[in-house]
This record gives sequence, structure tokens and C-alpha cells, in this order.
Amino acid sequence: MAIKKDLSIDYLGVKCENPFFLSSSPVGGNYDMVAKAYEAGWAGVFFKTVGIFVADECSPRFDNTNKEGLPWLGFKNMEQISDKPTELNFEFMYRLKRDYPEKILVSTIMGSSDAEWAALAKMSEQAGADLIEGNFSCPQMTSHAMGSDVGSNPKLVKQYTKAVVKATKIPFIAKMTPNITSMEVPARAAIEGGAAGVSAINTVKSITNIDLDNMTAMPVVNGKSSISGYSGAAIRPIALRFVAQLFQDPTVKDVEISGIGGIETWRDALEFLLLGCRNLQVTTAIMQYGYRIVEDMANGLAHWMDERGYDRLDDFIGIALPNIIPAEELDRSFKVLPAFDTKKCIGCGRCYVSCYDGAHQAIDWDAKKRRPVLNDECVGCHLCLNVCPVKDCITPGEIKWKKRAKKVSPVVQVNYD
Amino acid sequence: MSKVKTGSYTSEAVRGFDHRTAMEEAARCLLCHDAPCSEGCPAGTDPGKFIRSIRFRNPKGAAETIRENNVLGGVCARVCPYDRLCEEACSRTGIDRPIEIGKLQRYAVEQEKAFRMKVLKAPRGRKNQGAVACVGAGPASLALAAELAKAGYRVTIFEKEKKAGGVLTYGITPARLPQYVVDQDIAAVKGLGVEFEFGTEIGKKITAQDLIEQKGYDAVFIGAGLWQGRSAGVPGEDLKGVLTAVDFLKEARTKGGYAAMKDKTVVVVGGGDVAMDCATTAKLSGAAKVAIWYRRSVEEAPASMDEIRYAHDLGITITTEFAPKAFTGKGKKVEYAEFTGRDKKSSATAACDFVVLAIGQTAEDMSKITGASLSGKGCIAVRKGGKTNLPGIFAAGDIANGGKTVVEAVAEGKEAAASIITYLKKKAVKPAKKAVK
Ligand SMILES: Cc1cc2nc3c(=O)[nH]c(=O)nc-3n(C[C@H](O)[C@H](O)[C@H](O)COP(=O)(O)OP(=O)(O)OC[C@H]3O[C@@H](n4cnc5c(N)ncnc54)[C@H](O)[C@@H]3O)c2cc1C
Ligand SMILES: Cc1cc2nc3c(=O)[nH]c(=O)nc-3n(C[C@H](O)[C@H](O)[C@H](O)COP(=O)(O)O)c2cc1C
Ligand code: SF4
Ligand code: SF4
Ligand code: SF4
Repeated sequence: MAIKKDLSIDYLGVKCENPFFLSSSPVGGNYDMVAKAYEAGWAGVFFKTVGIFVADECSPRFDNTNKEGLPWLGFKNMEQISDKPTELNFEFMYRLKRDYPEKILVSTIMGSSDAEWAALAKMSEQAGADLIEGNFSCPQMTSHAMGSDVGSNPKLVKQYTKAVVKATKIPFIAKMTPNITSMEVPARAAIEGGAAGVSAINTVKSITNIDLDNMTAMPVVNGKSSISGYSGAAIRPIALRFVAQLFQDPTVKDVEISGIGGIETWRDALEFLLLGCRNLQVTTAIMQYGYRIVEDMANGLAHWMDERGYDRLDDFIGIALPNIIPAEELDRSFKVLPAFDTKKCIGCGRCYVSCYDGAHQAIDWDAKKRRPVLNDECVGCHLCLNVCPVKDCITPGEIKWKKRAKKVSPVVQVNYD
Repeated sequence: MSKVKTGSYTSEAVRGFDHRTAMEEAARCLLCHDAPCSEGCPAGTDPGKFIRSIRFRNPKGAAETIRENNVLGGVCARVCPYDRLCEEACSRTGIDRPIEIGKLQRYAVEQEKAFRMKVLKAPRGRKNQGAVACVGAGPASLALAAELAKAGYRVTIFEKEKKAGGVLTYGITPARLPQYVVDQDIAAVKGLGVEFEFGTEIGKKITAQDLIEQKGYDAVFIGAGLWQGRSAGVPGEDLKGVLTAVDFLKEARTKGGYAAMKDKTVVVVGGGDVAMDCATTAKLSGAAKVAIWYRRSVEEAPASMDEIRYAHDLGITITTEFAPKAFTGKGKKVEYAEFTGRDKKSSATAACDFVVLAIGQTAEDMSKITGASLSGKGCIAVRKGGKTNLPGIFAAGDIANGGKTVVEAVAEGKEAAASIITYLKKKAVKPAKKAVK
């Protein structure tokens, strides 16, 4: 029997069977797609952003980055909000809520004036949405009154949030753009305007590749291209950073945050939960692999909870956050020397090359035995450990104390994947 | 669907990499310091360097490294026994399995062709350093000629056949080594200005010594290979249908298969790569049944496991520990092959239409070509750098080492080139003594 764990969670007063949602994008763009996603196990959907404005899309509109033959490190899209008529989108939402009352429907909207935001909020309410998300963050809108230009302007964020909150009682979530230095600023503005939560992040402005035949970025649209949003695995570290900073902000920390950006596996999802997120959203991994990925997200998370003896998500949500501290507060009184397992070592010499060319010339190379030999220059940076291709070959070893340091045994990493 | 692989005489045994799969494989490479794979290549092809080029998206750089270090890099990529050379040395083996170095090399050489690269160019204005003649256009001579041409020497290769390549063109099956691969490598040698005289058998009208004394060459290199099929020394070898491997393969290679074997039963005797090639050639030529008979065990067989597996895949059987006793037939044609067991108790008789003897090659009569001392097996006796006992006469490859591999012939050819250069410099050869030819 497959493992069963209670993955349910209360998010903004709404009971969700698990924290896994489709994020607003083509993966949740019509009735049939969302219905299929629900049946695959997703707890809810942030429906593809609906506006009064209906998008007229370019073709082609996607590209991806790769490294050493591994594709989709990151994914670039040049899409705008929904290209379907406004009424049709709300009709999809209405039918979804009618046919799947247990699943959670979030209407993601974008207006270009107070009146439009209010009207879209009203329509969302009529369609039966459980929650409303405001898209302040699409980087490829063609008007400054919409998209990430709005999201980086706290005044507009607050103003439009107010317009929505005035029009409906449904909790409102403001979706943030990462194309900004301090996300806390617009997040605070949204909260001041009455937002119940924030979601982060939307896509990162990017140029993924230059096409060497057409001398423009990719994808190539009739010989030209644009800067546009980057998503997928490559942006997860950036998303985690923004989310952590939101939770560290004295104002923002009290609202609920939905984590988005590069989630593919249960482990990625867990990382957002450990920082404090109560909801998780996914697009790129679904575009690449399909809705079925939720099976391993749910099952993998359940197994991890089982290993650690957790029964519900609330037992561990946010527990990593307090351990993320400013660089100036780190304990700098010791260094951890690398320990080399000469039996596991296969003699590739990568540690030697990297330590010489990129660290402190602390490894001598025994050319005859093809083995690294640590000398006294080691500073404990662990570059060698990061490059070694053999699992558990280089591990944290002897602790060396700096002068006058208190010799308490430091906590070190034990598990390297 | 049959589980047995089928194909025509020229269908390729192994599929190569494309950009993506090459990149995936190159990403597995650990990019070792002082790379053991490079140490493992006798010819100095330097896989550690060319794989790094592929990994950093520079397949053209990879092609350059290969071509500069090993002019027969395309051929070696197909036929080298990597499992005993670079791949055996590969560090990655300590984690799971070695990098597929041969296939990456093949990929890089294919890029050279796709991009129409001309990597090797003869130096300008230095054509008159001295002139060297080569006997035979096999791997040893080709590698030597390329080195000498790069250094500015004039080289002429005399070849008794109509085409260059030696065993590459007249032996190894095209399933493993397609002719276009051989031709691409030979084109690189020709591109250096090396001249070829086909249909000229040295030793018939003219000897190696004559090339120096009468034709004005400053040195002669002998890379004649081993072209005498070894006989089994049992009754019935003269029956019609009993062939030696060299003759059989050459005929198949020249005519695009061995049509007479269609729907026939073929017995191949031997356990080396040559025997495997004979068996697969027979099968791909349309033989109904091909059986290999070998006097020792699979463990002892010199053929590489890949070649044995490929023969198996084609539905060829291998019977071990049986040595031929006699070939018999009522008329002039062979009808049965008779064997005795290694255990001295077993015996077997196989009905057949053809027998191919792939039990080794020996040297032809070298004394016709040169007065240099010979070794016990009729090979040319050499010291380091391919020096014979006669000044100005050098030899390498199968005819000197008794029969090894292409890459070793290349390595020895390169070494002999270096020692010829030293020899000619010492002799202080005056440019263009006489008009050559
Ligand atoms: C069937 C077969 C399969 C093999 N498979 C492999 C393999 O998979 N991998 C591997 O590494 N090695 C393999 N080998 C061995 C490899 O082919 C040889 O080691 C290599 O070809 C030796 O090169 P060479 O230049 O010394 O001689 P050769 O390739 O034999 O070339 C000698 C050339 O000299 C010419 N010649 C001879 N006498 C004269 C003369 N008197 N005048 C003018 N020209 C002359 C011949 O016609 C020939 O062209 C195989 C050999 C055979 C027979
Ligand atoms: C093709 C595509 C279209 C998107 N469209 C929208 C959109 O209409 N509204 C929105 O708020 N976010 C949109 N996004 C952003 C995603 O919802 C999400 O915030 C982002 O892709 C990061 O998550 P991921 O790494 O899981 O894809 C889109 C993303 C992609 C890839
Ligand atoms: S920890 Fe840093 S300095 Fe020490 S051996 Fe490793 S790479 Fe070199
Ligand atoms: S990187 Fe690891 S496997 Fe390679 S030589 Fe160093 S310790 Fe050994
Ligand atoms: S030895 Fe293997 S892993 Fe190391 S560089 Fe060579 S091919 Fe790559």
C-alpha cells in the first residue's frame, strides 16, 4: 500500500487537500485542462490570468536554456495574460467550481484601472472563486498600466488592491515580481491596501539565448525578439531568497505567502514550506512533464514526513526560517578541513585543479598514485567537496579553531546528494 | 519480429551520437587532471582534450585535436579496441562505466566532415627538406607520411593495390568500418600533398634499395603488413570453397559482399577479430547459416567482446574447443569440415559449402623488397623508431610488430617518422638532390 499522510492545509481560511496548486499560466487555461489536473491530484488552480484586455500572442513564444545536454535548466516565455474572451474564462471557472466543489479555485486577474480591477473581482466572485490573486507581475505586458511595471510601483499596487478589496470580500493575494531589489516594499503596499496574502515569484526578466543566425534573442519572432520572463528550476534559488526575505519582514511576515518558482519535486516543494509558505504553485515543470508530477510530489513529501515522524504540514512549516541569518552573524571562529576517502577516490584530479585554480593551492597532487594530498594552506572553503564527482568521497573532516576561539563543536552538513 | 539483427553487407553495426547525445556523454566525463584516457592511447590522440572541447561546445576544436594527433582518427574511432586502451584507463569506471570515448571521437570526426574542415595543411615553401618513399598504403605508412609531410618532407607511397588503406580498405568489414570513413582520413593525408602510386608492387621490378639508389629517395619506409593467410596444415585445404580470411575479405570488400555465399552454409575457423569479421561478412552477404569454430575457449579468444556480441546478434554461433582435423568432399568441392575436441574425446563434423580459415596472417616474402634482416616469423626486424639494420630503411606496423592493431601501427608510424627526420637531419640531406620519379 502506498503511504498515506494528511497533507491538508488551511490557506487563507480555505481548507485545501494538499498545498499543490497550478500557478496562473497556460497549464490552467480552460475547463478540460484544470479538470484533468484536479483528477491527477492537484488541490487547486490559480486560473490563467484574466483581464478585460485580451492578449494577442506572438509565435513562437518559448525558449529554454540547457547545460551539458541537460535541457530546461530554465524556461523563457513571451506570453501575456489569457487570450480567451473574458466571459469565457469566467464560464470555465464557474463550471469548474460547480463540478469540483472540493477543489480550490483561485481567479487570477489583471486590470489597467480601478474600475477594471473592481469589475474583474466582481466577476470572479460570481464565478464562485474561493480566492482572488492579482497579477502585478507579468513582465511582458505591452502597457505600463499592467504587469510588472505595476508590481514595482508600490503606489499602484496599493491602489489596485484597494479597488479589489472594496469590490469583494473574497481574500485577495498580490502576486509579486522578482524584477525589483526589495520585494518587501510592494508587498507592504499590498497589505496596506488590504491584501490577505502575497504570492512570489512571477518570472524573471531575461534573455535566454542569442540566435546566431538572426542576431537576436530567442525565440525569434520574424527576426526579432524581446526580453521576457524566465521560470523553472533555474529560478528556484531566486524565488526562495525572495520568499525568505518576505518572511523576515516585520509587516509581511504576518500574512500568508504562496511560494512559486522552479518547483519540480517534493524536495523543491518542501523547501518553500520550510521557509513558511502555506501554498505552492507550479507551471514550468508541468509544461515540461505534465500534471502527473504531483503524484511524486505528494508521495515523496509523505515519505519524508514519515521518516521524520511528522503527521501534518503545520508541524514543520517555517522551521528553517530562523536559521537563515545575516552574513555578519555567522560564526567565523573555525574552519572545517575536507577529509578525503582515498578508497572511494577515483583519481580524477578535479579537486586538485579547482583548489589550485579557484581556491588556495592546498592540495598537492600525487601523480603516481593519482591521489590528492592536503597541505597546510587549506582554508576550509569546500570548493573541492563541491567539485568531487564521487559521492561521500570528500566530506567535512577535522575542525581547526582560529586563535582565541571558543572550542564548541560546530554543527556541520552531513548529507550531500 | 526476429530477435536476431539483420542487415546488408554495408549496414553500420553501431549508431553514432548526435549533438545532444554527444553532449550528454561528454557531460559524464570528469575532465580529469592529467587524463588517464590520454595516457591510454598509444597514438597520442588525446581524448582528455578533445572530450573537453566537446563538453565546452567546441566540436570543431575537438576535430582539430584528433586530426592533428592521429591522422587516422576517424578509423580509430571505429575499430580501436578501446576496452583495452583509453576506456580501460578511464577514471569514470570507478563510479559506473567508462566514457564512450570511441563514439565521441567518431562524433567529432563527423563534425569535421559536416563543417568541411581542412585541419591539416602542409607548410608552405618547405617542400624540399628531403624525399621519402613508403611501401604500402596501410595505417603505418599513412601515419608516417602525414607526420613527414607536416614537417615539410616530400613523401610518395607505393601501393600494389588500386586503393589506399591496406586492411582498412581490403579487410575489416564495412559494417564496422565504412569506406567513407577510411576515405575521409586518407583525404587528410592527400591534403598534405602526399603522393600515391597505385598498382606498383615493390619487390617485383624495383627494391627498396633501388628507390634510394636509383630513384633518389633519401629514405624508404616499409609498411607492407601481413598478407599471407596462415594455413591450418590439415588435409583438404586445397578443396574448392576453402578460403583464407585475407582473400575472402578482400574479395568481399572489393565487390560489395560475397554473392556466392547467398543461402549457403559457411564454417569460419578462428577466434580473433578477423574470424568475427569473416563470419559477419558471410552472414551479411546472405549466407543461410554461419558457424564459427574455435580451438580454445571464449575467455581465451583474442576477439573483443563487442565483436563476439555483434556476431551473436546476427545469429552466428560459436563452438569452442574444437580444432579442424580435415576438410573433405567427394569431388573437388568441400562438403564437410571435421573437428577434434580439445579434450581429445569429442569430435564433430559439419556439412558446409564454404570454409573460411581465419587463423592468422603472416608476412609475404620480404626478402624480395629489402635485404634488411628478418625476424623468425619473416617480419622485418626493427629497433626503436622502426630502424632496420640497413641505413635509410625503416619499417613499422604489422610487418614489424608481427600483427597488432591500427592504432599501434599509427603510433609506430609516427615514431618512425620522428626517427627518419633525425636520420635525414644527421645526414644533412641537401634539398632536391635529383628530380624524384
Ligand atoms: C580482418 C581484419 C580485421 C581487423 N580488425 C581490427 C580492428 O578491429 N581493430 C584494429 O585496431 N586492428 C584490426 N586489425 C589489424 C589492423 O588492421 C592492422 O594492425 C593494421 O592494418 C596494420 O597496418 P599496416 O599499415 O601495418 O598494414 P596493412 O594495413 O596491412 O597495410 C599494408 C599495405 O601494404 C601494401 N603492400 C604490401 N606489400 C606491398 C608491396 N610489396 N608493394 C606495395 N604495397 C604493398 C598492402 O597492399 C597494404 O595496402 C584487423 C586486421 C584484419 C586482417
Ligand atoms: C508560459 C507561461 C505563462 C505564464 N503566464 C502567467 C500569467 O498569465 N499570469 C501569471 O500571474 N503568471 C504567469 N506565468 C508565471 C507563472 O505563473 C509562475 O509564476 C512562474 O512561471 C514561476 O513558476 P514556475 O517556475 O513553476 O514556472 C506564466 C509562466 C509561463 C511559463
Ligand atoms: S577546502 Fe578549499 S582550500 Fe581546502 S583543499 Fe578544499 S578547495 Fe582547497
Ligand atoms: S575530486 Fe574526488 S575523486 Fe577526484 S581526485 Fe579529488 S578526491 Fe579523488
Ligand atoms: S579518463 Fe575518462 S573521465 Fe577522465 S578525462 Fe578521460 S574520458 Fe573523461
